[in-house]
Amino acid sequence: MSLKELFHNTTLADRILFSLMIVLSLSGIAFIKEILPDNFTVHIYADGYPAYILPLDKNRVVSVEGPQGKTVVEIKDHQVRIIESPCHNKLCIQTGWVRSGAVLCLPNRIVVTLGDPDKHKKTVDATTG
Amino acid sequence: MQQQDKYRIALLSAFALGLHGFENLLPSPIPWLRFGLANIVTLITLLLYGMRPAVMVTLIRVMLASLIAGSFLGPAFILSLGGGIASTLVMGFVLHIAPRLFSTMGLSIIGALFHNLAQLFLAYFLFIQRIEAILLITPVIILFGTLTGTVNGVVSALLMKNLIKYDQKVQNVNEIK
Repeated sequence: MSLKELFHNTTLADRILFSLMIVLSLSGIAFIKEILPDNFTVHIYADGYPAYILPLDKNRVVSVEGPQGKTVVEIKDHQVRIIESPCHNKLCIQTGWVRSGAVLCLPNRIVVTLGDPDKHKKTVDATTG
Repeated sequence: MQQQDKYRIALLSAFALGLHGFENLLPSPIPWLRFGLANIVTLITLLLYGMRPAVMVTLIRVMLASLIAGSFLGPAFILSLGGGIASTLVMGFVLHIAPRLFSTMGLSIIGALFHNLAQLFLAYFLFIQRIEAILLITPVIILFGTLTGTVNGVVSALLMKNLIKYDQKVQNVNEIK
């Protein structure tokens, strides 16, 4: 019994199934990254160093220690905001809810970004303050 | 269940267990990626003796393999059990609904596919609750599952041919597709 004979014994449905699975999985490998939204994670940096990497779909409140004190970040319903900060002009709190991009608190050197910052090589050039 | 069926199930389970153990010794690039050689025995059982013995063989194989490996009731056991049962049931269902539609090869691919899908489903609900991680790995797993399913299908088809050719008188095979 040769492999050629074996191939002739397969039905049309077999071959269709096989080709379909191969094509579907290969296209899946190629396109799945395009379909998925890339801002699934929240990265929180304190004073330039990564402090937290959190999933965006779990609601929680975390506090991060910066040079001036504690900054409190809230994640809720795929949105992020800063609810408490020791800085004096409170720009980060006034930014409000953010769905993509970043929330910054420059006086306290807190950077909250959504999505993988290395993915598109869009990192922060420099921070001042 | 007849006495003869019990002997058959015991023998086939031993074969499946042997293949399962042998498979653990093979090096694999990804820990999750396995050949599923035991599926050959499940498929042969299904084709020769029907659904119930095939499910029995799968259950016995998964239980004993996990007891020997020491992973009984652990995550690997749950994934293995879910995948094995799902693939056996779906293969039996397809064979029952449309016996002539798929050959041994097609059934093997279907079995591998549903084994993988059941495992991914269980992994999502029990262990990794991050849908994007599961979605990322799904096409890769299904691609390799299809390839290993095809290889197992080829082996099963050859085995079926030889069983029918040489053992028709010895093994009183009641139903041959």
